[in-house]
Amino acid sequence: MRVLVVEDEPTIASQLTEALCAAGYAVDVVGNGVDAHFHGGDENQPFDAVVLDLGLPQMDGLTVLKKWRAAGRTMPVLILTARDNWHEKVAGIDAGADDYLTKPFHMEELLARLRALIRRAGGHASAELVCGDIILDTLHSRVTVGGQTLTLTSHEYRVLDYLMHHSDQVVSRSDLIEHIYAQDFDRDSNTVEVFIARLRKKLPEGVIETVRGLGYRLVFPASS
Amino acid sequence: MSFRAPSLSIALRGSLRLRLLLGTLVWIAASIMVAGWALGGLFRQHVAAQFHAELKTHLDQLAAHLVLEQDGRVSLSAAQSDPRFSKPYSGVYWQIDQVGQSGNNVFGLLRSRSLWDDVLEVPSDTPMNGEIHQHRVSGPGNTTLGMVERVVSLEDPPPGQAEARFRLIVAADERQMLEPVERFNGMLWLTLGLLGGGLALVAVIQVLIALVPLRRLHGALAAVRSGRTLNLEGRFPGEVQPLVEEFNTVLAQNAEVVERARTQAGNLAHALKTPLSVIANAANGKDSELAHLVTSQVEVARKQIDYHLSRSRAAASVRIPGVRTPVFPVLEGLVRVMKRIHADRNIELTILPSSEQVMFRGEEQDLQEMLGNLLDNACKWASGRVDISVSAEEPYLTIVIDDDGCGIAEAERLRVLDRGERVDELTPGSGLGLAIVNDVMRLYGGRLEFVDSQLGGLRVKLTLPMTD
Repeated sequence: MRVLVVEDEPTIASQLTEALCAAGYAVDVVGNGVDAHFHGGDENQPFDAVVLDLGLPQMDGLTVLKKWRAAGRTMPVLILTARDNWHEKVAGIDAGADDYLTKPFHMEELLARLRALIRRAGGHASAELVCGDIILDTLHSRVTVGGQTLTLTSHEYRVLDYLMHHSDQVVSRSDLIEHIYAQDFDRDSNTVEVFIARLRKKLPEGVIETVRGLGYRLVFPASS
Repeated sequence: MSFRAPSLSIALRGSLRLRLLLGTLVWIAASIMVAGWALGGLFRQHVAAQFHAELKTHLDQLAAHLVLEQDGRVSLSAAQSDPRFSKPYSGVYWQIDQVGQSGNNVFGLLRSRSLWDDVLEVPSDTPMNGEIHQHRVSGPGNTTLGMVERVVSLEDPPPGQAEARFRLIVAADERQMLEPVERFNGMLWLTLGLLGGGLALVAVIQVLIALVPLRRLHGALAAVRSGRTLNLEGRFPGEVQPLVEEFNTVLAQNAEVVERARTQAGNLAHALKTPLSVIANAANGKDSELAHLVTSQVEVARKQIDYHLSRSRAAASVRIPGVRTPVFPVLEGLVRVMKRIHADRNIELTILPSSEQVMFRGEEQDLQEMLGNLLDNACKWASGRVDISVSAEEPYLTIVIDDDGCGIAEAERLRVLDRGERVDELTPGSGLGLAIVNDVMRLYGGRLEFVDSQLGGLRVKLTLPMTD
């Protein structure tokens, strides 16, 4: 899952990045409104969620959000700001935000809310994603197969996480690349295949199906 | 008198009306006194001149009729034309004295019939020929007479006789002169009194009318104070208008200063929150004494900032007069927010419909602050349903929020309203929400009640005054 962090205060930005990376997200950080508008509005850079500060240099956060929504961008947006009166909360929600968190905040709360946003955006009601025997606990970034915990690297986790969030669709290779790497990460398209191969070894056989020319799909194995 | 002077000067300083009135009345009284005295004197002079002129006419007639007989006696060639000379004690008299060579005067040589047997006592001065002297003498019956006299010498005295000189006297009772003067004075003072009274009445009316704009100004100021208007409204006379304009400028300046102070308080609070976030996040998850201290103190600092920020906002806005906020748009906006931030809890929020357009007397932000915190609490506690109803019954606006949560025990309800008190430490939220609601509500003179809800949880009833 790829998250865009829009925050002009560098210390908070790095704290957020650290916490989000630790929770298994690929994180892009921008520090001003114009960059935020550009990155968040780029269709080739699909983000699964955005953490948006409101007081930004160059372009105000609310304006950025309105422009995204006007351009048809639908990714969930969590506003993280020091402005805490209800007047501003109403303005934020009406501009198209999905949640609103005020500073100073607890990192756990931010992570929980972000998880819930991504889950709801994918149409999942529970914090646990289930595909047959495979259970992905988004709360603790833990995967179990038939009750046994799998040990996954962070990239393997991200690939499986994305596939399970979109378990009823064919996920293209480029989609996967976009959602597991931050933008400035040195991407090598081959590595997706490497991660898929490693996952196939760790998961029951036939769970990850290759759809020729299109990408990958999770196949619901009959419950054993 | 010495103890009365300060009280008068205080009264004068205290009342513009009294000052204006007193000045005018003193002036009116002085003018009337002077006019009365001057006119009375003038008339008296005129009547006296007429009186004496009449006496002189009689004197001339008397001189013309005076005849010296061959035997040296004098007689009158004709009777005086005025019949009053013939009527005893009529008040008009004449008398002819002989002036002797060496002061041996003969008084009353000839007298008018009106004198009867009295003789006028005349001061023994001797006017030169042709001179006319005026005197006041006492006459018959204790009257005071105005009198003129002259001395005539008859020419060509009979041979052997010395030149004869006679003093001719005409006198009249002064009452004949004083009576019209008194009548005139009576009329004069009556007229002047009426004039003065009329002027004083007009002065009173004028002062009252002139001071009406001040009373209007008072009303306009009261309207500003009670919040019905933002400025002193209406046109005032040219003398008062500059004052009104200056005052409006001061009001506008005041509002600007308040607004600036508010913005700065807000900026300070927001500026502090970012470093607080940094500190809190840095300490987060570390298991040291320092980290725990930092975490707890950051929480305290955040509460203080939130509380005082919202207080300063509310305190500054509550007396900005004349502001009205429609209630339903505010509620609808807040419900949209609640549906988002409590999306995981799947709470059904319903605003019960009302046909009226209900207005809140105050700022939108303050209403949002109160209802936002109340709704947030309701959503945190509800199991699945929150109902909101609004009703307006002059002079109160009532907003009722029901939830189907577990409610609050009666004993706890009062404690909950206290600042920063949390009923259940496990429920997220700073606990300051209700304290803020309580503060803002009190600034607006409202009331907050907790009762049992029909839905099973808590019913929060917020009552706010609708008029100033």
